[in-house]
Amino acid sequence: MARRPGALFWLGGGLLLAFLAVAALAPLLAPHDPRLSTGRPMAAPTREHLLGTNDVGQDVLSQVIYGARSSLIVAGFVTAVSTALSWLVGLTAGFFRRAEAPLMAGTDLLLALPNLPLYLLVLTLIGASQRNLIAVLALLSWPAFARIVRSVVLQTRSATYVEASRALGAPDIHVIRRHVLPATLDVLPTKLVLTVRFAVFAEATLAFLGLGSGDAISWGGMLNWAFSDPLLFVRPGWPWLVLPPTLATAALILATVWISGGVAVVRSSHTGNERVSRMHRPPGGGSRLYRRTGRVAAFAGRERVGPARPAGGEPIRSEGVQVEARGPAVEQVGDDSAGDGRPREPAPVEADRHG
Amino acid sequence: MLPALVRLLLRYLLLAAGVVLLNFVIPRSLPGDPLSFGAGEGTDAAVPLSRAAKDQLRAYYRLDEPLNRQLGAYLGDLSRGDLGRSIARSAPVSDLIRDRLPWTLALLLVSLLIAAVVGTAAGVVAGWLPGAGRDRLLVAIASALAAIPEFLVAIGLLLTFAVGLGWFPLFGGQTVFAGYGGDPAGVARRALDVVWHLTLPAATLVLVGTSAFVLLARDATVGLRHAPWLVVARAKGLSERGVARRHALPNIALPLLTFFGLRLGTVLGGALVVERVFGVPGLGLLGYQAIRARDYPLLQALFLLSGLGVLATNLLLEIVYLRLETRRGLLRG
Repeated sequence: MARRPGALFWLGGGLLLAFLAVAALAPLLAPHDPRLSTGRPMAAPTREHLLGTNDVGQDVLSQVIYGARSSLIVAGFVTAVSTALSWLVGLTAGFFRRAEAPLMAGTDLLLALPNLPLYLLVLTLIGASQRNLIAVLALLSWPAFARIVRSVVLQTRSATYVEASRALGAPDIHVIRRHVLPATLDVLPTKLVLTVRFAVFAEATLAFLGLGSGDAISWGGMLNWAFSDPLLFVRPGWPWLVLPPTLATAALILATVWISGGVAVVRSSHTGNERVSRMHRPPGGGSRLYRRTGRVAAFAGRERVGPARPAGGEPIRSEGVQVEARGPAVEQVGDDSAGDGRPREPAPVEADRHG
Repeated sequence: MLPALVRLLLRYLLLAAGVVLLNFVIPRSLPGDPLSFGAGEGTDAAVPLSRAAKDQLRAYYRLDEPLNRQLGAYLGDLSRGDLGRSIARSAPVSDLIRDRLPWTLALLLVSLLIAAVVGTAAGVVAGWLPGAGRDRLLVAIASALAAIPEFLVAIGLLLTFAVGLGWFPLFGGQTVFAGYGGDPAGVARRALDVVWHLTLPAATLVLVGTSAFVLLARDATVGLRHAPWLVVARAKGLSERGVARRHALPNIALPLLTFFGLRLGTVLGGALVVERVFGVPGLGLLGYQAIRARDYPLLQALFLLSGLGVLATNLLLEIVYLRLETRRGLLRG
């Protein structure tokens, strides 16, 4: 019953590819140098300047084209670093008991902080530049998924096939690579899509607040520039300053949303029929469930010693992914590691930290 | 095993200590120091600091003293409620914040409450019949809203209702130079004026905030659709509406409550953006101006206050949560 991602997924993917192409080919596509004053200030669109010019005579179209670069560069680097950190911290904290307490304390602290004031303080202190922006966003956006990865690791670690592997004398590194890491990769697509979206959001917002890269052109920065003019809406050409960067940002974010929707659909079909798993969950363990819901098929291509998932059934977690696919809350990937029967801790609301 | 409440308090105490400490560590551990920044950072929009401002900053951070003395002085000042003096405005930071706090607080609380109530109601309606037309419509709207950053929503509303239709003011928290008069009618006029100015900013926060509540409430409702007590409630002959209100809503209230607290931290960021777009004279605008002037004492205070404020709210909600859970447990057990 593998469901296919819908048309929106492909539309989003195509849109993202188009943005990537525009960003990569910016110097070829842009009719003017976006930094130079190439026309009359505040000119309405002409053949020479298809989207008009801003109040210092820079070509708006060229700025929009170069703005795609800023957004995607920041998104790419932030996603790569943040994902690596999430997995590093999550795997370490989940696998090595001794590292768990300090790592999770730090994670909780970062999760508890209101993010935007933190970004503002740090960025103002170290100075706004593209490099610093990437560093700040990447270094502060990993905690939510570090928690999620850790909870997966905790589940996996107690699975019988992992125990068996360790009993056979497998070194830690082998167990992690062969058994633990593959189990965590299920949440990887979600993390990637969410973080890209978060980075695009955050880059635009911070640039709008005047903390974008001083030298790189970005959509948020264009809007910040436009809104710094107290007489903006009195000027006849204001739509050409406000609308192009607004629509470009919205389109890019929409593309990531559509992609994440498609990813969620595919993943929810991978993780089995939710209704069945809820109603027929055997009291003792999940291996029967595992066979019944036909999840084997989903993993047929993978080489694996044991079941793909910890016995105990309940995959992590079709619900959570569906939740965030439609909107900003990942959470439900609960963390019951305390095992004291208390309700889950207030789940980290992923997408908020994440966009 | 400590009682749950004590453990909870301890955890939050630790977190609060972490925030206070982080506020001390961040400026001192980042590359460079607050004074040297701006020398070689390319084309930075912010103004370079004047000599007087640098002297003031050095005194504020006490950079000439050893680190332990700095920490001692920082904690001492903090315990007296002294947050330093703003550099750009040469006034005590605490005074500035006290002046601006009511604006932001009013904006945040009102919009968050509306968002929670409207969002929960819409979410229950959507989740009651998953897959139905109204479910798909509501989820589509909520997803679309969740996908747009605050500042785009704000700009959209501003363009439509203030610039285009002219129904609302473009800027500010109240009409400039307006004489309201001191009599009750004047007070009412002033209140109306403020509400009129704050409608669009609040609407932005409501629009952005509602979607999360819709999606959360919907999924919670879908989750308990087949719960036995709902079947019983229906069998008793309660109307669907009664079932929803008396039996479904209380059961999804807990996660929503927690979520309410978690939202606060992000809504705060939203307020920053919204106040910048609409020129509401609250903490967010103060923060924005502080960025431009690199007014570090002010930024540090804002970070500290927002961090502690979010922690305090979450603690409060968790205590409520704990009580409700215990009661439920007793009933069940």
